[in-house]
Amino acid sequence: MVADPGSPGAVRTSRRLNEPQSALVEARFDGTPRLVNRLGVAVVREEWRVLDRWWTEEPIQRRYFELVLESGQNVVVFRDEERGGWFSQRGA
Amino acid sequence: MIACLAIPGFSLRAALRSRPSLAAVPAALAPPAGEEPLLGPVTAAAEAEGVKPGMRLGEALAMCPRLVLVEEDPSAAEQAWEGVLLRLEDSGFSVESAEPGCAYFETRGVERLYGGLEEALKRALASAGSGWDARIGAAERRFTSLAAANVARAGQALVVSDEQMPEFLAPLPLSLLPLDARRQLELRELGIKRLGELAGLPKAAVAERLGPDGRRAWSLARGGAAGRVPGRRPPAELYEELEFPEAIGNELTLRRAFGALLDRLLERKERDGRFVRKAAISARLVGGGSWRRTVTMRDPTAARDRLRHALGPKLAELPAPIVSLRLELVELSESHGQQLELVQAAGSELQSRLSEGLRQVRASTGSGSVASVVEVAPWSRIPEARALFVPRDD
Repeated sequence: MVADPGSPGAVRTSRRLNEPQSALVEARFDGTPRLVNRLGVAVVREEWRVLDRWWTEEPIQRRYFELVLESGQNVVVFRDEERGGWFSQRGA
Repeated sequence: MIACLAIPGFSLRAALRSRPSLAAVPAALAPPAGEEPLLGPVTAAAEAEGVKPGMRLGEALAMCPRLVLVEEDPSAAEQAWEGVLLRLEDSGFSVESAEPGCAYFETRGVERLYGGLEEALKRALASAGSGWDARIGAAERRFTSLAAANVARAGQALVVSDEQMPEFLAPLPLSLLPLDARRQLELRELGIKRLGELAGLPKAAVAERLGPDGRRAWSLARGGAAGRVPGRRPPAELYEELEFPEAIGNELTLRRAFGALLDRLLERKERDGRFVRKAAISARLVGGGSWRRTVTMRDPTAARDRLRHALGPKLAELPAPIVSLRLELVELSESHGQQLELVQAAGSELQSRLSEGLRQVRASTGSGSVASVVEVAPWSRIPEARALFVPRDD
């Protein structure tokens, strides 16, 4: 929300950088991605987990994959194991 | 005449604005952390159950186990009070704020405007706004107007003439006087419980027994001095506020957010080159409630580092994580100019070109299209928690 220019005050809502974007991922039986946004995965370069904020009401549990697609593109995707669903993310 | 507009229990009423359902149940303003556990103002429902302002917390809870304690919200109270004062000023009253919930103004200048004293006071009551249960006392003397406001019912304007004054003040309790609890007790032990009883004593005897405080109380019990109401200088009201997508609590993040706010506020055109005399930093806390600190600069300044050093350390006093941070320039100096530099500071030309470039981008793409990246938690394992986009429209 941005206040009118010239008004005495301004309330601005900041937003997060590198917010996860929902991604269309098809996984193999072991959970590793096979297709990302309908493009085949050539190499799984790295895999890691993030478990955080378990002490809050919004815990985070993600399984990340750094992938090279058949098109040559590098992407990072994760599966949200708390709420379900796949996401791609920059800056990971 | 001098009028006193009073809103009893203003801090509680302001805190209840965001939780109106509590106004109908026994509720009281919680004692501030680290201070004696004495209750603040209480609701009518709490009063009906025997709970009184200033009562010990333990005693109040024993008397009324369902008593709800409401956290103080100083920021909301200050903003609400500022709203009341501005509405009074919009109606033509030149007000002087004694404290949130109590303001004085003179009626002489506006009586003709509204067609008499009664009409002017009615207008002032209407200007205060609904839901506050404001009341007004008016008299020739300041203290008498305060006493009348304390006696008046909600929505009533009570006028006390000079002739009625001694009779009006005589039966009122000593608690109206600005005397500390020890002095009040001392007077009660001497059998003096009403203003009339104090006013009837010889001035010299009161002064000898109670000192300068007693002499002043004696003078007030007889109505006090006439005096004038100077009227306040309206605040600068220049502020920037940042809302966070999630509660933040670590000091580095807070300092970075504060730095971004300070930069934007100093670049605001409305400042018009004036220097900051008084600034305030406030925050909305994660569990509800707010926090506020005000700093008056010894020398007015617009130097970022000086303001940062004056206000920044206050952030360490935050009692809980926050969901928004607000920086206000409460008072600006009158002077606009400053000594010109003989040699332009390094980077100033680059800075002005950058500002012009950003202005052109905003002009073509609209407000909110230019943002700064503020790193808030670069160590975080969650990528989206490391930095924020903060819109800039300066």
